This record gives sequence, C-alpha cells and structure tokens, in this order.
Amino acid sequence: MEFIYLTEEIRQQIDKYVEKFPVRDQAVIQSLHLIYSKYRDIEDYHMKELSEYLQVPLNVIEGIVSFYDMFRVKRGARHHIRVCKNLPCHIMGCKNLLKMFEKLTGEKANEYSKNGRFYIETVECIGSCSIAPAFMIDDDLYNGLNITEEKLNEILSKYT
Amino acid sequence: MRYYPNIPDLNADSSINLLLRRAKENRTVDIEEYVTTGGYSALKKALTKFTPEDIVVLVEESTLRGRGGAGFPTGRKWRFALSNPPPRYLICNADESEPGTFKDRIIIERDPHLLIEGMAIAGYALGAELGFIYIRGEYPAGAKILEDAIEDARKRGFLGKNILGTEFSFDILVYRGAGAYICGEETALIESLEGKRGHPRLRPPYPANYGLFGKPTVVNNVETLSNIPIIVTYESYYMNIGPSGYYGPKLFPISGKVNKPGVYESTMDITLRDLIDMAGGMRDGKKFKVVFAGALGVYSERDLDTPMDYSPKGFGGTGTTIVLAEDDCIIDSLIVIAEFFEHESCGKCTPCRVGTYEQLNILRKFQQGTATEEDIKLLEHLGRNIPVGSICGLGYSASNAIMDALRKFRDEFYEHIKGNCPAGVCF
Ligand SMILES: Cc1cc2nc3c(=O)[nH]c(=O)nc-3n(C[C@H](O)[C@H](O)[C@H](O)COP(=O)(O)O)c2cc1C
Ligand code: SF4
Ligand code: FES
Repeated sequence: MEFIYLTEEIRQQIDKYVEKFPVRDQAVIQSLHLIYSKYRDIEDYHMKELSEYLQVPLNVIEGIVSFYDMFRVKRGARHHIRVCKNLPCHIMGCKNLLKMFEKLTGEKANEYSKNGRFYIETVECIGSCSIAPAFMIDDDLYNGLNITEEKLNEILSKYT
Repeated sequence: MRYYPNIPDLNADSSINLLLRRAKENRTVDIEEYVTTGGYSALKKALTKFTPEDIVVLVEESTLRGRGGAGFPTGRKWRFALSNPPPRYLICNADESEPGTFKDRIIIERDPHLLIEGMAIAGYALGAELGFIYIRGEYPAGAKILEDAIEDARKRGFLGKNILGTEFSFDILVYRGAGAYICGEETALIESLEGKRGHPRLRPPYPANYGLFGKPTVVNNVETLSNIPIIVTYESYYMNIGPSGYYGPKLFPISGKVNKPGVYESTMDITLRDLIDMAGGMRDGKKFKVVFAGALGVYSERDLDTPMDYSPKGFGGTGTTIVLAEDDCIIDSLIVIAEFFEHESCGKCTPCRVGTYEQLNILRKFQQGTATEEDIKLLEHLGRNIPVGSICGLGYSASNAIMDALRKFRDEFYEHIKGNCPAGVCF
C-alpha cells in the first residue's frame, strides 16, 4: 500500500515506537500524536493508513480516537488555541481572555474553524494555574494575566 | 541547542530545598549540573551499599505516602507488588490533571533527573527492569525534556543494561496521554498505557497483583518517586524532616487570589493559613473566602488551621490549594467543578455518568434563580448515591466539593434561591 499521509518521517518515528514498546498496540496513541501534530485533525483516511501500517484493527484505532479529547475533536485549523476554563483560570478572568481571542481571530470558541488558521477550544485545567488565566497555542504555553489585546495579537502573529 | 516549547515561569519556591533544590528557577537542569550537584549519588549508594530489601525498608520507615492524591503508604504498596513474582513494572503517574494541580510539572520540566534517579532506585527495589512515565498530552515540553534526559542518563550508564557496572538493568519509556483526566486513575492509566481507551478496571485485583500486561505493577506519582533519592541520601535523617509520621518534603501548588501563586515546598507541619502567607497573602488585600482543595473539597475560614499532612484531620491529597476571595461565588465555582466532572466522567458507571450531569444541571438552577429548597435535597441525594454506584475515585469524589459546601456555606444556597448572590457574581 502507498502511504500518502503517513510520510516517510512519520513512518520512521512509528517504527521506533514499535521497536521500543513491548506491545504493538502501545504505538497507537503515540502515532496518533504524530498525525495530530502534523495535520491537527484526525480523519478516517489517517486512521485507515495507520491501521494498515501498524496492522492494528481499524475499529481499535477509531475507539481510541473517539475516547481521547485531543484526537476526537475536529478543528479544521492549522493552530490550536486552548483556553483553560477550570476554577483558578475562571476566577482570574478566562472569560475575558476568551472574548479577546474570539475578537482577534474572528472564530467562535469550540466551533469548527472558519478561515482555517485558528481553532479556539475551552479546556479543563492545563496544569498552569499560577499563570491563570493560562492558555496554550499548539505546544506553547502562555501567561494570560493582565494580557492586552496588543500583546495577544503579537503572540498570535507568530502562528501563521 | 535543544528546542522546547515555550514555558513561562510558573513560580516555585522553597525554604527547605529538597525536592525543589535545583528547581526554583525556570530552566531545565541538565545531566552535567545534576551530577556535579550530587545527583545520581543516591543511585550509586543504593546499588553498592544496599540490597533491594534495604531500600524497601528505608521507604517503609520513611512514612512516605503517595503524593498523587490517595496518600497510600508507598512502602506498603511496594510490599504488595513484591509478594508477586516478576516481571514487575514500575509506572510513574505524570498525568497531573486535577484542577489546580501543577506541582509535578515543576520537577519534570526543571529537574527531570531527580525523577529518573528516583525511578531507577524504585526499579532496583522492586526488581523491575522496565518503567514507564505516563505524561499528560498537554505537557508536550515535559515529554520532550524527559525523553532527552533519559537519553542522557543512558549515555552515562545511569539507565540501561548493567547500571554503573552492576547486575541491575533498568530502562524508562515515556508515553504520552491525550487529554483525558480519568487516565490519571491508576487502572485507567494502565489501560491507556496498553494502548486502549482509558476506562478504569474493576478492583480487585489491584495493580500490585494484576497491572500492566497482567503483571504486578506499582503506580506512583512523580513527587512520590522524586522523594526516593532524598530518602536514600538522608536515611534515618529523613525522619528529621517535618512532623512525626508525616516526614519528608511536600509540594503545594497554590493558585487563585493570592499575591504570589506558585508551587511551594514545605514540611507538612504547616497549616493552610501559613501556606497562604507563604504565597504572599491574599491578593490586593481582599478578604479570604474559601479554599478549594482541587475538585475534592472546600475549606472555610474556620478550617484555616488545618495541618497540611495526611492525618485524618489533615489536608492530605495532592496539596492543591485554590484560594478564593470575598468577591468569588461558591455556587459559580461549584458549577465550574461540576462541569469538570460531567465532562471527565468516563461513562462506564451509570450513577457517575448520569449523576454528574444531573448535579450540574441542578447547580445551574441556583445561578439562574430557578432553584428551590427541593434542589438542595436533590443535591444531597446525588451526593450520597453517586459514590455508592461508582467503581473509581472520580465517581467517589464527584460530589465532595458540593457536599462540603452544603455543610459549610449552606446560607449561600438559600441566598441564591432568594435571587441574591452575596459575591455579586451571579444574576
Ligand atoms: C480520577 C482520578 C484521577 C487521578 N489523577 C492522578 C494524577 O493525575 N496523578 C497522580 O499521580 N495520581 C492520580 N490519581 C491517583 C492514582 O489513581 C494513584 O492513586 C496514584 O497515581 C498512586 O501514586 P501515589 O501512591 O504515589 O500517590 C488519580 C485518581 C483518580 C481517581
Ligand atoms: S466512577 Fe465514573 S469515571 Fe469512574 S469508572 Fe465509573 S463512570 Fe468512569
Ligand atoms: S485551572 Fe487553568 S491552568 Fe489550572
């Protein structure tokens, strides 16, 4: 089979997982992370290729994707903004931060991205409560306390 | 240069410099610095001076309790696993997803070798050859830092085959989770680590008997394992650290309305009041209202002298302290917590799946002004019954904060029934 989405680079990384973990199934979630990092959304064709490559039944992979929030949600965007909404961030003003994000990106929280650049997701505690209201953009973490629209715009401009 | 994603300074401080000895600044301590500041000498000592049994006895005598929430004595947990034949596995629980908890990441991101050294010694004591670190998906930097640190430790002979020239071989693999709080529960974690959906298992059997791949397994928290090098280094002097029976350093993640939120290290003889002082006192001089111990309970002004230890009257748990001020509302906060449980219930047990949904809807009525006294009774009914019909700690504790609040802040519920929010947040 030809692999279109599982690039050479991804396959090499998957091979490493298969080699180091005692059980093949352990490579599934780790491989899905590679797909998530590259494509953001995990689609049927990704799962089919992964199932083929790992020789793990497709229903097992679908079961995993539908269980874990990072893989389940369809976002349609190159960059994934996570705004924490749990208690410390809630009392430190995450609602205001969320409004700023919605205004600056033109996207609505938890809605499929309109222009394909940003998806805004409200998430439970991301373990950064001393910098509440905390947020992440892709793998980067930021302090949202007293943040201004100007500063936020500057941060967003790094993610094209 | 290694590239890691951005991590702002989460602020950490310590007066006793044990767990946070190298971790007060926002940077990753590399293996050179770790070794030149005495790192891996506890591993060397363990492998050359002690038998595995000696280490287990040291850990038992240390009174160390699990820092992941349940506070189970670590030595006893190890004994259970040791009563079963090898292969045995060691798992480090780095899922850290309890609301308000951000202590483990400080060790992972700033001083990863402390954890690695702790795991290697634990592996030696348990006769394990392989350990896993299960790290939550939202800690991408932490996962990379650990991978690199483990690689460095292998190169130096602190991990891998015949560690430091001895018979002992041990390796560690990092495994990322993908956004599910329930995977912090140890049996759900094991399922997830086996490459499955993260549903908790019915217990017994416990992981010590039937864990990863059906083999005896010890699951310990990051902070628990990071105590091991300290115990081996200090031996009986460890019993000079902190109050009787609750020896050793503890990390306290404090957030909310304090002047200097962050992770503070202390002995467990401090009180909740001292801890808030340590974090710079109340923010902007506001009046204290309540502490949420993560999602697991609420502490009012009358509880401020609670010791932060694992005694029956103590604070216990992960040490998570979310401080709220006079202008924060109990009901509004309980709704946030209830949303969390409703979202994170894995759905396996009906009372937890449906009950967390119902208690959220009832709480919302208090905020919308449509609640009646009957709703207080319904909340109490759910609070009594969700735990009974649940198989894991999430269900056992999903109503704790609400039940606590009904005892300690009952007036606020009645005020909201009357359409009045004392903090001025709702309506
Ligand atoms: C819903 C739920 C979530 C949990 N999350 C974590 C966690 O993120 N980290 C952790 O160390 N323990 C967590 N625990 C506790 C673990 O089940 C387990 O008790 C702990 O990892 C044992 O380690 P310790 O004895 O060193 O504390 C959680 C428990 C439950 C019920
Ligand atoms: S108590 Fe709740 S979270 Fe735990 S297994 Fe049952 S449904 Fe899942
Ligand atoms: S509550 Fe937002 S990071 Fe913890």
